[in-house]
Amino acid sequence: MLFPPRRSDYAICPFKILMETDAPKASAAAIVTGLKKAGIDFVATLPDEKMLELIRAVEKDPGFKHVPLCREEEGIGICAGAYLAGKRTALIMQNAGFLNSCNALTTTSMQFQIPALLLIYYAGDIGDRGFTTLGAVTEPVLQGMGIRYYILRRREEIDETLCGAQILAEDSKRPVAVLLTRSVLGVS
Amino acid sequence: MQRYDYLKAIAADAGDALAVCTGWGAREWWAVRPSDGNLKTRTLGLVSSIAAGLAVALPRRKVIAIDGDGAFLMNLCGLPTIALQNPGNLIHLLFDNEVYEASGGTATASRMADAVALARGAGYKHALWVETPEEFGAAFVQAWQQNELTLIAVKVEPGQPKDLPPLKLDEIENKYRFMRYLEATEKRHILNPGFDSKI
Repeated sequence: MLFPPRRSDYAICPFKILMETDAPKASAAAIVTGLKKAGIDFVATLPDEKMLELIRAVEKDPGFKHVPLCREEEGIGICAGAYLAGKRTALIMQNAGFLNSCNALTTTSMQFQIPALLLIYYAGDIGDRGFTTLGAVTEPVLQGMGIRYYILRRREEIDETLCGAQILAEDSKRPVAVLLTRSVLGVS
Repeated sequence: MQRYDYLKAIAADAGDALAVCTGWGAREWWAVRPSDGNLKTRTLGLVSSIAAGLAVALPRRKVIAIDGDGAFLMNLCGLPTIALQNPGNLIHLLFDNEVYEASGGTATASRMADAVALARGAGYKHALWVETPEEFGAAFVQAWQQNELTLIAVKVEPGQPKDLPPLKLDEIENKYRFMRYLEATEKRHILNPGFDSKI
């Protein structure tokens, strides 16, 4: 393979297997099912192109109250308010949005001991073009903030990971992050 | 007139509304309406978003956001989000003293920025300036009765009375008391009982 790889080089990439046209929809459906199994009923979102089908699936599912955001940090506040009122909340965003949320995560979620399930698209992950700087700082920032995180790559691990992360969030009363990769989202 | 003069004008009409406060306004609100239904926030800007989350999750319960100009300006992007949800049970109060009061009193940009125009532009159905405690009280009662998302803004002098009782709540204690108060008044289970309840 030449460096940097041309788009056509991805033909030999193992992710190709997940690039069938219905893969993003199937992944979105599987993640929605996982969120429901985890008890999530309130979801705030700010899109990344890679999560388009997921956010569409959340939007049209009557099992969730969906709150589209203008900036991710306000989503931490909205989810905190909903949690105090008895909702089980998730925030779906890109890792740039996670960085936008760091103050609210620290001075609202963690300071008040409020759980939150963070579903973060891992832009700049291995093989992902365009956001390598963002990808490079994502895990160190999560580690620095003491937020436990799990990288989700395989569709068959969705239920266990989302349910497990939500249990951790509820029992520790802290935010817990699940990093969503292209392979689990079924996108190229 | 200071914020305290306006808060006094609505305390008796606030009933069992949940109130989310920020900055120095919290101590004043607790003084005029002591209740476990009061929550003091910590993140500058998020008072309106936390109140909105409560209002969306509890559509039959009145929720009051007690906002300041510094916090309001920091979270302008939260306004369209709130307007899109359009919670009719949310009354958004803005006390505009044109300074970051809790941070030492330096000026905010609110001398130039019209908060009511910003809220209207963001999609708030009702947003108005008032000029006296009487107008403020009347606008509050009207917002409560018509049950539509409303921003009520007022220019105030910085400062607060010297003889207010100090806030003695730890913020985690504040959170738990707030949630237990919601459980008692909504008559349903809210707090996750945790693992110990199952063994």
